[in-house]
Amino acid sequence: MAGEATITLEVFRYRPDDDGEATIQDYRVPYHEHWVVLDALNWIKDHADGTLSFRWSCRMGVCGSCGMMVNGEAKLTCAVFLKDYYPSAIRVEPLINFPVERDLVISMDDFLAKLQAVKPWLIRDDEEPPGAEYLQTPSQLAQYQQFSMCINCMLCYAACPEIDGIPDFLGPAAIALAHRYNLDSRDQGQSERQEVLGGEEAVWGCTFVGECTAVCPKNVDPAGAIQQAKVASTKDWYRHVLLPWGKR
Amino acid sequence: MNRSNEAFWWSLFSAGGVMAALFMPVFIVLTGLVLPFTTAGDADLDYDRVHQVVTWWPVRIVLFVVVFLSLFHCAHRIRHILMDLGLRAVSTVLAALCYSGAAAGTVAALFVLGTL
Ligand code: SF4
Ligand code: FES
Repeated sequence: MAGEATITLEVFRYRPDDDGEATIQDYRVPYHEHWVVLDALNWIKDHADGTLSFRWSCRMGVCGSCGMMVNGEAKLTCAVFLKDYYPSAIRVEPLINFPVERDLVISMDDFLAKLQAVKPWLIRDDEEPPGAEYLQTPSQLAQYQQFSMCINCMLCYAACPEIDGIPDFLGPAAIALAHRYNLDSRDQGQSERQEVLGGEEAVWGCTFVGECTAVCPKNVDPAGAIQQAKVASTKDWYRHVLLPWGKR
Repeated sequence: MNRSNEAFWWSLFSAGGVMAALFMPVFIVLTGLVLPFTTAGDADLDYDRVHQVVTWWPVRIVLFVVVFLSLFHCAHRIRHILMDLGLRAVSTVLAALCYSGAAAGTVAALFVLGTL
């Protein structure tokens, strides 16, 4: 690499089957202005150290699998350029608030269970599936569209300070997704989801710090969704207390 | 059914937030700056006139609602800050302390405003 510009990546390493110690390993990587951090990781994997593990797929901010901590901030590594850090070294670590499986790969089990818990699909009272599509007007679509842009990248879970204190906290993306279905004119499952949403570890775990919305690469605004879900949960609580005989 | 009573405290908290944001700055600017420091206050800050305004029942009620909700807003915020600072394990004790503090303040406000 003589004469060629380089940049140092300080990469978090953890191989449970080897020594089981977490360490930071430095790699010198060719520097190109148009390279993103993920390009540098792929260069390491192909040319310097084939044992490095990390997730990625689309390289264009769509699949949501390449989220990592870049200099301590939760980022999609396919969307952050080396040039924004050059010539300083860049530290790349796995997303915080998740158990690490290996190197930069975190365990998604807990996150997937939380997503599943809010029943993120259209719930209908109809016995039979309809023969044709449920129709929806553009304004009905606009109600929830923003909250449907989530790519499950989990950056918001790494950014949220409440996740650390309340491990069972349902978290930003799952609440935003629940709210997205509750707002959908085709859906009838709000009361079913409310059983999960109205709890201490769901919307009430949030104190509106807003970091989730700040890091979200898709402008989903999960913090806004949670606030709206709090209002809905509050209405549900008053309805239950004041009209206990009413419709649940 | 997982229907947390947090919804109730939060409704007081958010209503109190609106009250505090809407009325408190106006009160502070009016009674803390405009009236004492400008000529606008010379005629109006007279005790009898202020007393007359404050003891008018609609004003008493508004003041009570503002004070009551703002106190519960503060109590809820303080409780959550303490929980975030690591006292989550004693959150029931915190809730009892914070909300009974706000309730005491509310009773005091009721007493003061009722006996003016
Ligand atoms: S809400 Fe945003 S930050 Fe959170 S998982 Fe979805 S896309 Fe990622
Ligand atoms: S690789 Fe798909 S979002 Fe980055």
